[in-house]
Amino acid sequence: MRACALVLALLSVISVSAPAAAQETETLRRELEALQKQLQSVTDRLQKLETQRTPAPAPVPAPALPAMSAPSPPGATAPGTSVTDLARPRQPFTLYQQRGAGQLLFDMGVAGDFVGNLTQSNVEKAGGGTFGGQENRFFPREVELGLFGQVDPYAYAEVRIEAGEATRGGELNVSLAEAAVTLLTLPGGTQAKFGQMRNRFGYSNALHEHDLSWIDRPNALRNFLGDEGLKEKGVELTIVPDLPFYLEGLAGVFNGDNETAFGRGTLRVPMFTGRLRTFLELGDASALQLGMSAASGETGEKRRNTLLGWEGRYKYRPEGWLHPLVTVTGEAIYSLRRVLVDVDMDGDGLIDRITKRERDRFGWYLGGEMQPWRRWTGGVRYDWSQFPLNPGSERSIEPYITYWPSEFLRFRLAYKNTERTHRDGFDANGGSARQVDEVLFQGTFILGAHPAHPF
Amino acid sequence: MRRLTFIAGATLVALGLLIPSAQAARKLRVVATIPDLKSLVEAVGGDLVEVDSLTRGTQNFHEAEVRPSMMLKLRRADALVENGADLDAWADVAVLGANNSNIVRGAAGRIEISRGIPLLEVPSVRVDRSMGDVHPLGNPHFSLDPGLAPIITQNIVDGLARISADDRQAFERNRQAFLARLDREMERWMKLMAPARGAKVVAYHPDVIYFLTRFGLVQVATLEDRPGIPPSPQHLVQIIRLMKADGVKVILVEPWNDFKLAQRVADETGAKALVFATAVGAVKGADNYIAAIDYNVNTLAEALK
Repeated sequence: MRACALVLALLSVISVSAPAAAQETETLRRELEALQKQLQSVTDRLQKLETQRTPAPAPVPAPALPAMSAPSPPGATAPGTSVTDLARPRQPFTLYQQRGAGQLLFDMGVAGDFVGNLTQSNVEKAGGGTFGGQENRFFPREVELGLFGQVDPYAYAEVRIEAGEATRGGELNVSLAEAAVTLLTLPGGTQAKFGQMRNRFGYSNALHEHDLSWIDRPNALRNFLGDEGLKEKGVELTIVPDLPFYLEGLAGVFNGDNETAFGRGTLRVPMFTGRLRTFLELGDASALQLGMSAASGETGEKRRNTLLGWEGRYKYRPEGWLHPLVTVTGEAIYSLRRVLVDVDMDGDGLIDRITKRERDRFGWYLGGEMQPWRRWTGGVRYDWSQFPLNPGSERSIEPYITYWPSEFLRFRLAYKNTERTHRDGFDANGGSARQVDEVLFQGTFILGAHPAHPF
Repeated sequence: MRRLTFIAGATLVALGLLIPSAQAARKLRVVATIPDLKSLVEAVGGDLVEVDSLTRGTQNFHEAEVRPSMMLKLRRADALVENGADLDAWADVAVLGANNSNIVRGAAGRIEISRGIPLLEVPSVRVDRSMGDVHPLGNPHFSLDPGLAPIITQNIVDGLARISADDRQAFERNRQAFLARLDREMERWMKLMAPARGAKVVAYHPDVIYFLTRFGLVQVATLEDRPGIPPSPQHLVQIIRLMKADGVKVILVEPWNDFKLAQRVADETGAKALVFATAVGAVKGADNYIAAIDYNVNTLAEALK
């Protein structure tokens, strides 16, 4: 009885609400139909727009392009197909889709540079090989993570973080190799770059280890600028004046942290740099780049050191070749450094006084490279350099071959013979490294993006 | 003193009058990364532009070397027209060295013509370098597809009008005249290529796919094992087998690629190795956009008879 009452009540509710529900359904159906019509209208408009040539936003209406009367190609286009019709996507190819929200707004890449060397035991004992302290070892010299791209419409940034084995069998050191921003939209053909950077002093100093044309950095640069070269924190301003020939001028102000050449490390007595670079095209196949650089600052002992550098790079790339056939690179460095000198005035073997003197030193290298095949390169580099503080000089000759399985993988093998006039500085642990014979090898890879290299 | 003041004043007035006329007479200095774009900018810009190209048609655009002479050209440019889709990414380095704020990324004078182009061969799977020098955005060699010229030239008009709005009508007129001529040529090209539709060809490097697709030809393989990777002997053996089985009559070779190798494969298979004008200026006579396409159409139509 109670159940019957419940069923009756339910039926009465349904009978009352049924017309209302039906009315609501009808309303929804009408709305849906209206929406479908709207959608159809939008689709029609879109299709119409797509079939038209992209209209020019000019105030004058563009005349319509006559439809093509080309015969109908089987299975591809219809008669009267216009060029725009032909431009539409067709199968079976996958078509370009915009990358999604996960798209990176900058590029990144990893460069791995592993080097090794074999040499005499006395050289290893003295730590006098090319990779001082790492003789007869294979080790990661530089594994670098590079991030680069536009910061905004006005600036470009480049950050490189590198890890490498600095000491024999030691832990990998991770450090900031470069982090610099270049302001691109300054007036008068100028750009400013600030941050930590490899200074544009000469040709090869600005290059990272894995980008060098040889396994090792040339002796003159290592002697005068340290194993890692000149890498400073500060500001560089460049100007390319509007001239009929290419000329780039550069001026920079830096802390002067480089301990080999400077070391004062303060903006109160900054290290200044300057460079002029030009370029000559000798016909379609040959080109020559010439430059002159200067850097001046104080050493940790508060004495001035001025470096002058000259650079030249020639490339011959026959018409239609994918790579240069001949490349010749040379640099020279002259150092004028104020030093304290012990003076024995009466020749009794005792120091009578200490005087300040200007000590000038010089170093240079010249390298030539031939690339007759795309994958193979052979070359030789000759180095001669004095030492900035110690007496004497060294000369070395280094023939090498390079094999590139692809653009992103490279192997090098070199033999290097070095002769030094003095043992000073290369006589640790009672060893001697006046005569050094080394076999050097290198494996380099690039993962992902890498900025293109200038000339 | 009064005389001196008068002369100085008159000189200044004369200079003031000269400056606007000099400005009015100055053409827009446009630099294109590749010669195809140079030719198209010339067609659109007409007398209002002065165009130079950073590369030559005989070069492989993937491996163009950034030289300071490029920076010299870019130093004075009002606009840089680039292909995009990763073909000419090296232009960024040249721009960085040119110290010209007109053409840095995001500036009005930076014109990328791949905008709106329906790119082919966009990888539909995850890509990495084991696939060779693969382009994640798709095949960037679209510039010599005449069917895409309307989009490319529209991008050029829009770009040039950004820096010289008053000349938009003139650019658009030039564009329409060029496209009308292209349409007439297209009709002729389609007729010439009609008998060859469906023919199978082999390319050395995958840079002819847009052209082949446009005229209904089928690329069955490339001599390169993978893009940018020189062919291995095993790969060549496979290609020779494939060409014999499919009756491929033509191997298309870029002017910068190894023609001798292609010729050896052609000799093995009874096919013809042909130099394809992969860009304006790539072969003799292909001095402008229409001439380059005309050369390719005539060469292929003749070879596939």
